[in-house]
Amino acid sequence: MMWRNVWAVWRREYIQRVQSRWFIIATVGGPFIMASLIVIPVFLTERSEYNDTTIAVIDETNVLLDRVVPALEQGGWIVRAEGWREGALEELTAKIEIGALAGLLVLDGMTLSTGEARLYSGINESPLRLLTMRSAISQAALEYHLGQSDADAVALLQGGRLSVRVINESGVDTDGVEFLIAFGGAFFLYMVILMYAVAVMWATLDEKASRVVEIILSSMKPWHLMLGKILGVWAVSMTQILVWICSVTLFIAAGIPVLLSGRYGLPQLENLGEVLPGPGLWALFMGFFVLGYLMYSGLYASLGAMCSTDQEVQQAQLPMLLLLLVPILMVLPVIQSPMTPMSTGLSLFPLFSPILMWARVATGVVPAWQVGLSFALMVLSVFGIAWAAGRIYKAGILMTGKRPTLPELWRWLREA
Amino acid sequence: MSETDFAVSLNGVTKRFANQVAVSDFDLVVPRGVICGLLGPNGSGKTTTIRMIMGILHPDEGSVSLFGADAEETQRARIGYLPEERGVYRKMKCLEFILFLSEIRGMRRVDGKRRALEWFERLGLTGWADKKLEDLSRGMQQKIQFVSAVIHEPDLLILDEPFSGLDPINQDILEEIVRDLQGRGVTILFSTHLMDQAERLCERVCLISNSRKVLDADLKELKATERKGVVAVDFEGSDEWLRGPEVTGIKESDGTTEVFLVDGADHRELLKRGLQSDVNIFRFELIEPRLHDIFLRHVGSNITGGVAVSENGVSVTP
Repeated sequence: MMWRNVWAVWRREYIQRVQSRWFIIATVGGPFIMASLIVIPVFLTERSEYNDTTIAVIDETNVLLDRVVPALEQGGWIVRAEGWREGALEELTAKIEIGALAGLLVLDGMTLSTGEARLYSGINESPLRLLTMRSAISQAALEYHLGQSDADAVALLQGGRLSVRVINESGVDTDGVEFLIAFGGAFFLYMVILMYAVAVMWATLDEKASRVVEIILSSMKPWHLMLGKILGVWAVSMTQILVWICSVTLFIAAGIPVLLSGRYGLPQLENLGEVLPGPGLWALFMGFFVLGYLMYSGLYASLGAMCSTDQEVQQAQLPMLLLLLVPILMVLPVIQSPMTPMSTGLSLFPLFSPILMWARVATGVVPAWQVGLSFALMVLSVFGIAWAAGRIYKAGILMTGKRPTLPELWRWLREA
Repeated sequence: MSETDFAVSLNGVTKRFANQVAVSDFDLVVPRGVICGLLGPNGSGKTTTIRMIMGILHPDEGSVSLFGADAEETQRARIGYLPEERGVYRKMKCLEFILFLSEIRGMRRVDGKRRALEWFERLGLTGWADKKLEDLSRGMQQKIQFVSAVIHEPDLLILDEPFSGLDPINQDILEEIVRDLQGRGVTILFSTHLMDQAERLCERVCLISNSRKVLDADLKELKATERKGVVAVDFEGSDEWLRGPEVTGIKESDGTTEVFLVDGADHRELLKRGLQSDVNIFRFELIEPRLHDIFLRHVGSNITGGVAVSENGVSVTP
């Protein structure tokens, strides 16, 4: 009896949602947007390089040229070194006017002492490229002054770097792929958990507001309805996430080599395949998602059952959003120092675990027992929340009028 | 009659919400196979009573039994229910909606589909099966809901204000269907405040006012009892003879005067006084009271009393 009802609710919820226009748009559009975030910049860079960006360089100092040319070439220019001679300036600027040259860079004594150089340009170079050129010149000048080839002017100019090796516990570089996985994954978890849990809330509110709930509850227990609904939306979310993951994997497997073919300068993308999270990490990710979703969907379902109108529910979800703000604000500090007592404590709090424990797991320094403990705590919370949410749902779902006060909620919990 | 002869029986049922009593010490029996009307002013507790029969609400005191057994899920599967607040999944197609509801009532989808299409034809809904519910008018939605109430061939049909929102043609169709179902042995309990409909359809009526049952009787017997109470007179002359200790009120309608007598009064006392006076009496007839008048007589006096519970459900006040 129970499972047949839960199944019927599940099926209705799933089919209705999967058939909806929004589901199709979001499912197909999601990976498309993600892919375009990667493809479009690459494509644009590629486009700009097809422009004829041959520039001539006149070096009056004779010491800068060797250093500037490789830097400019790395920045994408084709460089022609011109010797200093009488009338060269007029001759070359004339070439720029007819479009035979993209620009002329003049380095002189002033460049050597202050880093100031002149660029005659026939095209509108982007500010980014101008910055590249400027730093190439000033670095060349500095390197010359430092006088020794093994001094790394670039590194020194960036203020140096402290490489930390913690024995037993390795921290995470904020520019490594691990950081991206920890940070991006945490945000993605936050986004999908919230998105689908809120969907459960709206579905509950809608059933209540349209009053269709009464006819359904004449044939099944409120708890079964809630369970069917939560599982139905969960199945929708899994479908959507699997489509996303498959298309992203496909994109990485097939798309990136195509993009990279015949290109240079994107070394961090070339070995992306090697640093992508392995199956173990994926399984943990899905685990955090499922348990996080079950906890939050229960909470949001009872919010939906408590309220009668859209406005009410907007207000009622405010405390929930504030609660969710905590893990989001703490993600960065937790990733940077995953082993502090505060990071450990916050990430073990079940409602924060899906985001913060994930972030710590992805850094690779968390002991397995802590991950296990957080999962155990989350499973306990799922049951606790299901118990409480079921009661609130049962009492609230048929109630219209004013939203319950806290003492009334407490009474529902005890009496329902 | 024994317990099992009743489709529904409520024993001393009381339901309170916050600090209000919605239904107080309520007894009701609905024998199998009859059409029973649950009548009462707005806010008198009709919907709450029905919700307790349906197991949506649980009584604080007393008990509900269905078909002579404790009201459990298996008994409730034999009930068809049309709630007063008729909600639908607006984005769903009509047939899908019916199939979903038949499924949660334990039917297989194939059977549900066959019966749904039969009902659609009967109610003139063929061609709407694949339309979304939001494209239907409220009256049409109500018909879909009615189909959902009868789709699993229930033994007991509970209809909360089934006629409100329907045009006269569809009211007649529904009345006919209700009679037809009764002919096939289905027990029907419906709430209404349309006295004409109740009078035409019901064999039994139950009157609720201010959360309490006022009366619960067979309609024919009730009318026979109440018959003593109203006299229609046509006469010429002073109406002085109508003023007496046994008369509670006088109503003029269409040239006829209806005289209402106090309970237990003898109408012959009135006639005797009329003959003694010098009025010319053309007509003196004990008339069958209309349900409307019975309703007003029993309920009218306290109808102005506080309305305890909103019809929309449970209102919570601090």
